[in-house]
Amino acid sequence: MRLTKILIGLLLSLASLWAHAQPWEFDKPVKVTSTHGKNIFHHLESSGRHNIAISAGTVAVVWEDDRDGIPSVYLARKDRDKQEFSKELKISGEGEAYEPSLVALNNNRFVLAWEEDTRIHLRVVTPTKLGPTIILGKGEAVQPSLTIDDQQLLVVYSQRESHYGRIWMQRIEIDGVKLHLKHGCAVDAEPAKDEQIYPSIASVAGRVIVAWEDRRPGHTIIMAAKNHDRNSCSFDSPQRISEGLSGQRPAFGKGHGVSRVALATYGAGKILAVWADKRDFREGHDIYAAHNLSGKKQLFGPNVKVQDSFGGIAQQWHATVAGDPSGRLVVGWDDNRDGDANIMLSWPEGESWSEDFAVPGADGEGEQNHPTIILDREGNLHLAWIARTTIGEPTQVYYLFGKIVK
Amino acid sequence: MRAILVIIATLLTLPVMAQPPKGYPFQSFDKALQQAQTENKLLFVYFGRYGCGYCEKTNKEAFSDKKIRESYSKKYILAYVDAESGKRLRLPSGERVTEREVGTRYNAFVTPVFTFMTAEGQPLLRLVGVQRIMDLREADKKVQQTLNKAGKP
Repeated sequence: MRLTKILIGLLLSLASLWAHAQPWEFDKPVKVTSTHGKNIFHHLESSGRHNIAISAGTVAVVWEDDRDGIPSVYLARKDRDKQEFSKELKISGEGEAYEPSLVALNNNRFVLAWEEDTRIHLRVVTPTKLGPTIILGKGEAVQPSLTIDDQQLLVVYSQRESHYGRIWMQRIEIDGVKLHLKHGCAVDAEPAKDEQIYPSIASVAGRVIVAWEDRRPGHTIIMAAKNHDRNSCSFDSPQRISEGLSGQRPAFGKGHGVSRVALATYGAGKILAVWADKRDFREGHDIYAAHNLSGKKQLFGPNVKVQDSFGGIAQQWHATVAGDPSGRLVVGWDDNRDGDANIMLSWPEGESWSEDFAVPGADGEGEQNHPTIILDREGNLHLAWIARTTIGEPTQVYYLFGKIVK
Repeated sequence: MRAILVIIATLLTLPVMAQPPKGYPFQSFDKALQQAQTENKLLFVYFGRYGCGYCEKTNKEAFSDKKIRESYSKKYILAYVDAESGKRLRLPSGERVTEREVGTRYNAFVTPVFTFMTAEGQPLLRLVGVQRIMDLREADKKVQQTLNKAGKP
């Protein structure tokens, strides 16, 4: 009996130590939208997983749902210090709209990009106005992802050319609530030989890196390219980021699968790429990452496994990444190692990655998935995700604030 | 001779696409679910991915069998799901999902996975990895025996 008490005490002490080891203290989850219920299914699935952003004192979350019988894009905002989100704004038009991406401007303003009737649409949202919508390109284009660099807005997307999607980048000038198209270019100068899809973009002081899924070798790999000169729209030849496996692997055919790359900047111009990688075919997708090698011919360094070994035979999906100017970095994903899908995080600790951390409030019974994360300038973590009690049931969008503690 | 060499070289360099096998009426998961409900039949769902080696091997070595083709095409509504694809589907419940999400929901974290399921999407039997003709015959037999025991045609 006494031994049991000692062991419980020891476990509680360890749990307490672990709680102190995590970089954030989490508030309770907050519902992002009050519109939910029968036949309403919310989606947080932008290319690059940019569905949350912070401008000055405003947190914004963008998603798609089909409450009116047609998929549409909605935005909800809240003051950082308040617990409730405002009633959502419908952002898209009358067409079928999907996969919205979000980026913050200054003064509580945001820019959104989304796919509507297979074209890329963009508009500015201020605290009091919705700017006019602009439409990119002439043909079918999908999967927009946004970033901003010194008030220069950049959008990447996959544009259908002939048989395949091809990654394009477009620079856009912001003029109050209006957006003006500047120059755009294909990221890979060579016409696509197979699908180029799901791009993500990061830009630091005019140095732009775009990463995407590419099927040119007969299986899916992650490719990336850097612009030739600062602020130019001309890219060096793309390089493969996701490493291949050596030797004959009949189970893999042409090669193993990877999916959905996301990029984030952190520190003084550093960039991390994360994605789901199936190189161990017995484990399904695992979360992998690679750091950008600034100033070197090789764009990205060796692939590292972010998740810990306890996630081995579980499924990991929907990798998302965020960084801050002081150099903090965090990777999130959903993970079913405990039976239910939960949101997990890992962050760098020295030369390796921390043990995986199940986010309190975004774990437990039911399904918690499709995370999207961002760090504010102080290093506080802002997380949004999709939740429901049972697979197949209607969904809800949740938000959680993690206050930085170290 | 040169033409033959060119044909052989072309065949050797053809990418492994891991599409569903030819000659079978595979369709998208959402359409297959609807058809299975209308016709009161079971589904046979093939979870593959682009470039999947064991999918291609199963296509060549098992699905090429004429009896398998006849039996599976007749008894089941066939669905193909690319477990990496962002292709959008609309389930009978009204939920919009991607093929990738369907793969997640049915634990298709390795490919290929073949799942017999009810018209409501309830899994009955799951085959993981490369399959031989005898594996598919055996699975079909097992599913049909279960149906007979349950008194269903």
